[in-house]
Amino acid sequence: MTRTRFVFSSLLLAMLAIHGGAEEEPGARSKVAGHVPEQNRQAQRAPAPADSATPSSTSWWTPGDERVLAPLAAYGNSFGTLGILNTGGPVVTAGHPFFEPIGKNGRACVTCHQPANSMSLSVEMIRRRWEDTRGKDPLFAPVDGMNCPHLPADDPKSHSLLLDRGLFRIFLPWPPKAADGTRIDPEFTLEVVRDPTGCNTHPVYGLASANPMLSVYRRPRPAANLRYVTHQKFGVFAFIGKNGLPASRDPETGAPSGMNLLSDARQPTLKTQAVEAAVTHLQFDGPLDDERLRQITDFEKQLYAAQMTVDAAADARNRARESIARGHDVFMFRTFWIRDAMHLNTVGLGNPTKRTCATCHGMHMMGMDVANGWMDIGTTNLPHAREEPLNPWNARKPELPLFKVTCKSSVPPHPFLGRVIYTQDPGRALISGKCNDVGTIVMQQLRGLSARAPYFSNGAAESLREMIDFYDRRFDIGFTEREREDLVNFLSAL
Amino acid sequence: MAFLLAVGTSAVWAAPKAGEPLSFVSCPIVRDTRTVPCWLAEHGGEMYFLTLQTDVSAPVNPPWLGHRVLVEGVVSEEPSICGGRVLKPLTLSVMPDLDASCNTVLPAEERYDLTFEPPRPPGPSKGRLAFGDPAARDAVATGGPAMDFSLAYEFDGQVAFRHAQTLQRILDTARAAQVEEVRITGYRSATRLSSGEVMREREDIARRRAEQVRDLLVGAGLDSVKYTVRWQDRSKRPGLSGAENRRVEVALIARR
Repeated sequence: MTRTRFVFSSLLLAMLAIHGGAEEEPGARSKVAGHVPEQNRQAQRAPAPADSATPSSTSWWTPGDERVLAPLAAYGNSFGTLGILNTGGPVVTAGHPFFEPIGKNGRACVTCHQPANSMSLSVEMIRRRWEDTRGKDPLFAPVDGMNCPHLPADDPKSHSLLLDRGLFRIFLPWPPKAADGTRIDPEFTLEVVRDPTGCNTHPVYGLASANPMLSVYRRPRPAANLRYVTHQKFGVFAFIGKNGLPASRDPETGAPSGMNLLSDARQPTLKTQAVEAAVTHLQFDGPLDDERLRQITDFEKQLYAAQMTVDAAADARNRARESIARGHDVFMFRTFWIRDAMHLNTVGLGNPTKRTCATCHGMHMMGMDVANGWMDIGTTNLPHAREEPLNPWNARKPELPLFKVTCKSSVPPHPFLGRVIYTQDPGRALISGKCNDVGTIVMQQLRGLSARAPYFSNGAAESLREMIDFYDRRFDIGFTEREREDLVNFLSAL
Repeated sequence: MAFLLAVGTSAVWAAPKAGEPLSFVSCPIVRDTRTVPCWLAEHGGEMYFLTLQTDVSAPVNPPWLGHRVLVEGVVSEEPSICGGRVLKPLTLSVMPDLDASCNTVLPAEERYDLTFEPPRPPGPSKGRLAFGDPAARDAVATGGPAMDFSLAYEFDGQVAFRHAQTLQRILDTARAAQVEEVRITGYRSATRLSSGEVMREREDIARRRAEQVRDLLVGAGLDSVKYTVRWQDRSKRPGLSGAENRRVEVALIARR
């Protein structure tokens, strides 16, 4: 271990020391997730913008601005109005660590968790920001706002995944590290088949570098309604009800986590997530002190986001409401066959299972399953992931990397995809190293969808209609045109 | 998995009588109904009812299309369900290898509709909690918890969704009783099919099962007790059901 790594690890350990008075369960460990020190090394290696520009606008919250977030903030979108309910009362942003640029690239948490976008970030906002700042906003920082940090700055092509699909680069050490920092021996081998961003094969940032790192590209999740997302009640036990394996635990208390914060469940708590986000997205070098972590997590727990109103004249509004009600019934009661979905069909429901949208998207006020779990519905794994066959007359080229995963003979084959799997993002398997987890993604909430297109972890659906069409194709549902319209209206009102 | 052909396999099948044990490997079949789908399997010209779609907590969970299933059961006198003779008790094991020929979904037919209300509808659960397990927690909290536990496995299987609650009970009990030692014994089994073939589990499965249970308990935080891990091969004398021996036993030893 180099001295830098040792110092950083020690600081993180010190930062996450058990708080006095906290209720501790047996087995509590004061450690940050094992992969973060390697991420810190790469983040510090990546350039940070030297000439950033961050002009404010009515809808854009600029890091370091002196503003006040009201108890209720409203933002228009193409379906009506989104509301951000701030139950802690007015928040003064000056000096608040969620809003301050604490790292070296000028970003703050709010950069990618904008109130107008349901505390996520829409691709429409990203494009507008590019135009307003000619690419100078810290949002486009090379570390992860660029397809790879080595690419030329100020060139939109270097940021194509962010500008086209709202995707940020997530870089994770390979092979994976357990929570305690020990190396996990993966159940599969992994090859880079396609590397359009150049990052996975790059000598500094790639898999063969001195700090071997794999890059995938994902959407930011909403930093709202997180009291529901991180609850400790229904379905959260020491062992995960969908696979029998131990749940990850809060490093301070040892309590099991619902593991629903991130798309690969790699961080168990808001606090550990904030530590990693500061290190990676903000290029913050060193530990966040307890007070700033408390301010960030308290703020995140007091925010709720949902669509509030449908903007239309009375007749149109009534018709929209009727459609929303029909869409609700489709969502709750329209059955279809769900087949070959890992960690869905394998959890005692049978393959196929005749269920509805609400089977998975049914719980705790925000349409996600809050028991621990991740599943592969085909958004990143072939043959269902969005892939366009190549032809020489087409200027469009694949944007995302493609990996070939081969499950070792010592483990059973993947139950639906066999031993060889092609994927754009191995998902949870990058953390667990398990063959059955390849391409599995943690479900996310459905609140405020109108304000934060595109959808799915890899931004594969540009609109709600595309999202519904994906499910229709994937599960051979056969939605009628009216069912699709009603579902769009229902989802846009959540 | 090992298949051995036994001497004297009969080519002619007679319909088994009630009370007769039956073991076979077959493609599962889904039959839709007005409510939830039924799962069936055909063997020797007879159709057998396996289970209904319910949820994680069902006593017998449905198998998977795309895979064959090992059926180990006893023919029951109960009326047919969905056109299939009932097997009770019954254990099902999904075979790990993919088999694309297992792909039959039959449409709903009025004559095969269920004559009873299924435990849960295909849509919202009507209040049934698949993952809720307050009873297990109460059992520990109110005293007198068992100190011996058993985990049952599918053929060649390791820990899966159905083991989470038993593992939770072991963990809760061990903590509440402040145990000194956890003794884990894994077993390997074999099944003699009705055809006479013998299916043996993979050779190292007993060790794998026992070590995995230890690793999972340690991973969940039970890391300050002594673990004694053993394994035994019970595949030498296969019976018509090998389910009983596909298990791990866990004994919690309290401090003296």
